[in-house]
Amino acid sequence: MGQTPSNDNPELEPTGKPWSQRAQDIAAVAWPSFLTGSVATMLFFAFIDPLVLQDATFPSWDLSRMTGYALGFFFFWGIAAVSSALSIFLTRSGTPLTRD
Amino acid sequence: MKTDAAPQGATSYYEAHQKIYPREIKGRFQRLRTLAVFVLLGLYYVLPWVKWGDRQALLFDLPARKFHIFNLTFWPQDFYLMAGLLIIAAVSLFFVTALAGRLWCGYACPQTVWTEVFLWMEHWTEGDRRQRMKLDKAPWGREKILRKTSKQFLWITFSIWTGFTFVGFFTPVTELGARLMTLELGPWETFWIIFYSFATYGNAGYLREQVCKYMCPYARFQSAMFDQDTLVISYDTQRGETRGSRKRGTDHKAKGLGDCIDCTLCVQVCPTGIDIRDGLQIDCIACAACIDACDQVMDKVGYPRGLVRYTTENALENKRTKVLRPRVLIYAGLLLALLVGFGYAISNRTPLLLDIIRDRNALYRMTNQGLIENVYTLKVMNMDTRAHRYSLEVSGLAGIHLDLDDKEILVESGEVATLAARVRVPENGMNESGATITLTLQALDQADLKIVEPARFIGPAPSR
Ligand code: SF4
Ligand code: SF4
Repeated sequence: MGQTPSNDNPELEPTGKPWSQRAQDIAAVAWPSFLTGSVATMLFFAFIDPLVLQDATFPSWDLSRMTGYALGFFFFWGIAAVSSALSIFLTRSGTPLTRD
Repeated sequence: MKTDAAPQGATSYYEAHQKIYPREIKGRFQRLRTLAVFVLLGLYYVLPWVKWGDRQALLFDLPARKFHIFNLTFWPQDFYLMAGLLIIAAVSLFFVTALAGRLWCGYACPQTVWTEVFLWMEHWTEGDRRQRMKLDKAPWGREKILRKTSKQFLWITFSIWTGFTFVGFFTPVTELGARLMTLELGPWETFWIIFYSFATYGNAGYLREQVCKYMCPYARFQSAMFDQDTLVISYDTQRGETRGSRKRGTDHKAKGLGDCIDCTLCVQVCPTGIDIRDGLQIDCIACAACIDACDQVMDKVGYPRGLVRYTTENALENKRTKVLRPRVLIYAGLLLALLVGFGYAISNRTPLLLDIIRDRNALYRMTNQGLIENVYTLKVMNMDTRAHRYSLEVSGLAGIHLDLDDKEILVESGEVATLAARVRVPENGMNESGATITLTLQALDQADLKIVEPARFIGPAPSR
């Protein structure tokens, strides 16, 4: 995917250079986990009212539904991100044989 | 739909990426894309303000756990419909991709659409491609500061408006606007406005096509839906090669040259910085800018248009393109089935719900008249678009009798009524300690609007 212009026309400079591996990894963790986290949040709260959940867990706290949704969303996003990051770590850190 | 990969936060990694300066181009496909931007963003920014009756036409009221879509109101119980809608959207995307490639990317993806608007603003403030490159190289001076600040001003204002609109889909937008004016926004409203604004600003202002290249799952798996008959944007190698510059009016064929004059305009306009002449590439977001660029060149040099064009791989290899092929038919069939099912589910939905909750304090009570009494809390949800009066009946045990405060239950559209129901049964009506009774809720003004729910009735253990 490295596209160096095949031409020394100055009009072409500069073209994009590929992202570093590190930046690609961060992107590959952040964005898909955001998507799956959103879907999980929708599914979860379609069936469970945050207020009912709160009654069953921390009834003494005073949380609104919006807080419940937000906490839920960041929880799912975070969990998914951890899983994505671990997957990347595992595929990158295998023995040399399993590496490509 | 955005991400948190903030350009600022990632500066150290981000530096590795050199900026792409796409050149602006006019042409039929760019006009089409501009139209798409206006239609889609027009809908986005206007829809929250549209009223339906006395409420917002489109409101995903999360605090109240109700979704209003024009005259329909969806409750958490209708979740399967929402899930159905999402599946329909996904299958539609597969279908369109198999048929016409990345049309979604080029014309409809929020990423592309918002990037386009940010590019316009950049163009207004910093000028065209050449001027932007010069400006970036120039030392900081009055003009550079002025141009850069006005760009940031436009970008940031537009982002905040975008974030505000986004939250306006989830809380009534007029009230949200009023609270914004008086600086009385709730903490979460403020947070989500900033979150979405920031995501828009970062994605459309800085990350742009990098999102497509490095972050988007669709960009990677779309190739699984492609085949030789999918509409793609491609360079006609047979016709174009051997590429090379030439003088006006020379007979290039005689010199062994193809139609490509190697002006590299198609490369300069490409937002992802690829050369379409290298063949089909996963980085191509099918924006068709290179088609418009090349058509312009072809017009100028007097060759026929379409050296770069929408075509299929089969067509390029001089084979026939088959539109109706198994893949397309399967997606189409699936889509049709889902749509029919969805339509059926919506039209046959009983817009009425009855929740029965037993009194938690006492299992049963003996009345002075020697009757067994059970108390229930009933929740009647009217999901219809108008108010209804309902009657409640109970059956299932001999001599069963219902005692309500009001004979008729009035529930406004989209409201929930909570009432206490006392059900009494003579002692000899029961021969076991528990029985199932049936509650029937019937709308008085509409014969087919009724709901039947079972409930548990508890009495004393029978004395033997
Ligand atoms: S590649 Fe992904 S982010 Fe880019 S335009 Fe296509 S769908 Fe949108
Ligand atoms: S190759 Fe052409 S269609 Fe593809 S992204 Fe570049 S300009 Fe757009």
